[in-house]
Amino acid sequence: MTDRTVISHKNTWPENAAQLIGKTKIVLIPFLVGLFTVKLAIMLATDGSQVGRVVQSLEKNLLTPIPLCFLLGIFCSKVHAGVSIPKELYYSIAIFLLMSIGFVGGHELAHEYSVHGVATLWKPAFVTLFLGVLTPITSFCVLRFMGKMSVADAAGVAAHYGSTSAVTFAVANAFVEQAQHPANSFLPTLVTILECPGIAVALLLGAALSASERAKKAEALGTPLKASRLREALYEVVTGQSIMLLGGLLFIGFVSTLFMDPKGFQPFYDFFQSKGMLFRGALCIFLLEMGIVAGQKLGDLVKIGPFLVAFGVLMPLIHGFIGVYLGYLAGLNLGGCTVFGAIVSSASYIAAPPAVRMSLPEANPTYSLTAALAITFPFNIALGIPIYFEMAKWVGAH
Amino acid sequence: MDLYPLKLVTVIGESLIMRDIAEKGVKLGATGFTITQVEGDGPRSSQNVEIAPGGKTLKVEFVVPTDVATTILTHVSEEYFEHYSIVAWLSDVMVIRGALYLNGIK
Repeated sequence: MTDRTVISHKNTWPENAAQLIGKTKIVLIPFLVGLFTVKLAIMLATDGSQVGRVVQSLEKNLLTPIPLCFLLGIFCSKVHAGVSIPKELYYSIAIFLLMSIGFVGGHELAHEYSVHGVATLWKPAFVTLFLGVLTPITSFCVLRFMGKMSVADAAGVAAHYGSTSAVTFAVANAFVEQAQHPANSFLPTLVTILECPGIAVALLLGAALSASERAKKAEALGTPLKASRLREALYEVVTGQSIMLLGGLLFIGFVSTLFMDPKGFQPFYDFFQSKGMLFRGALCIFLLEMGIVAGQKLGDLVKIGPFLVAFGVLMPLIHGFIGVYLGYLAGLNLGGCTVFGAIVSSASYIAAPPAVRMSLPEANPTYSLTAALAITFPFNIALGIPIYFEMAKWVGAH
Repeated sequence: MDLYPLKLVTVIGESLIMRDIAEKGVKLGATGFTITQVEGDGPRSSQNVEIAPGGKTLKVEFVVPTDVATTILTHVSEEYFEHYSIVAWLSDVMVIRGALYLNGIK
């Protein structure tokens, strides 16, 4: 019995090879076609034209380790390669990334604060708060009225798109640094501000609009009306890992820069910043795992339908543009506008899912998770960020 | 050695709700519980993504008398079956020192 089980799992090599080639095609063909299109577009686009510049930015971004590691992850998941990043390592890296972004951000914020006070800070902070409230509402309206989704599903997805993804921030930051246009130092503060309001607004919207539906259903079935767990869900968001580590380390970095002797501070800074080496390396491992997970989720694209797929690409572009433009008006530099566009357009997949699951259990998580992880995240790291970079140049940021 | 006939309540589901179920089980009369992380697949499994918090699959077990078992299972089915990926069952077990698991005796 045991022998038979073992044998049935082993493919003979021609079958295995054929399978491997088949699956390789799924990943490689779109990639090669994409690369070829980009090359062709470069050749066609005349030098200096807007399209030509966008295309060049795309090419520069795509062939760098971070997006390529993500692609490798997708490839591995498709060919069932023997790569699996231990979950504990993944969580550890997530903690390191959040702490590092927070600490370095807090340090830079302290510098900015000691030089300019709050003069350069309040406008971007206000714009961030405004966008945190706006993006879930626009997402909800598009999903509800154009996509004809149920109130709960639309609010669930809107909560993901209203919040932000710290990893998208990290990748965008690495991109603008490689492009020699580092972002304003207070961007990590904006990520922290952007994390919560989007989720809160979408969940409140969902809870308010679905309350009558729930009451009707409870009456029809004769079951007692279940209490909404909105309060618990919001508590969960505010005390979640992203806010606690990012916000907490931001505070620690800020306070210790102001009050600590610079010599004593240096080792902490060296560890968390490490000239970007540790951070970028860790990001590559992280993105490999993200690629594996996104690859597993690709199959769900069929389930969520073409509307949500289009939403996952177009909504970030619209939000990204609004982010870039308002960021420019608030006084961000070229790198700052790019990163700001990226964080406004990105969808959360850490803070939002449990909050939505708790307060709107009737929303189908497959929709939001697939859209956020398998569409918007890959889109942003591969194509979105260079596009926001060009948008920022176009609106006149420098 | 005395063996007592008792019931084993097993609930498997997404980690987001399992802590609550375990705690509620104790409130409903269980003297304790065991939580294990497990893996599996089912019609609603795609709702779970392990890298998102709450995305693991956990198993909660209670050894309880029949009346408590029924209360726990009723609570779980009314509260969670509609929207969450979850499975629950009841089995007969023979337990050493079974008197410890009876309600009120500790």
